[in-house]
Amino acid sequence: MALSHITAMLLFSFLVSVVFAVLSKDTPRDRVIYGAKVFGAFLGIALLLGWIMYPLPW
Amino acid sequence: MAKRVFEEQVAAKPTPARGSLLRLCLAAWLIPGFGHLVLGRKWRALILFTSVISMFLLGLAMQGQFFSVHSGSYLQTLGFFGEMCVGVAMPAALFLGYSGGDPSFASADYGTAFLVAAGMLNVLTVLDAYDIALGRKP
Repeated sequence: MALSHITAMLLFSFLVSVVFAVLSKDTPRDRVIYGAKVFGAFLGIALLLGWIMYPLPW
Repeated sequence: MAKRVFEEQVAAKPTPARGSLLRLCLAAWLIPGFGHLVLGRKWRALILFTSVISMFLLGLAMQGQFFSVHSGSYLQTLGFFGEMCVGVAMPAALFLGYSGGDPSFASADYGTAFLVAAGMLNVLTVLDAYDIALGRKP
């Protein structure tokens, strides 16, 4: 199963966010909110780093 | 207020025996989420099991590499232990015929990362089960 980088990144972020949320918070509402924040942080930081590295020649 | 009540409840509970804690951690390592199931946290166990095993299976589907202790490289040895942290999943995959990965496959590097990350997530679940058993977490 060949995945593109963005797809692999989305899946990885989602699964890690779920585990982090379940382990860190105690109520379902808190878990959903925290999981969404972690997922957003994963994607946001990855995209940000991608754009920062974009002009680099190597 | 709720935190103080919880801390008082924790202080009132007897500490589990070391042997039972060890068995709990061993069970939690061997099967992701099983420690939580033993402790009565069924939904948490199901979600953790599904997440960790899904990550592991995605790693296999992407032809991620199984590292070896005999490679002579410290990093590969670390990678082996990282992948072994998933428990019986790695030996089971080898037993069921997984070839150990195809480095020439397009997504193989991602697959390897998924395999090791699944192990690392299982370490977190083992530590969480340990904390719950000690009464440090609800």
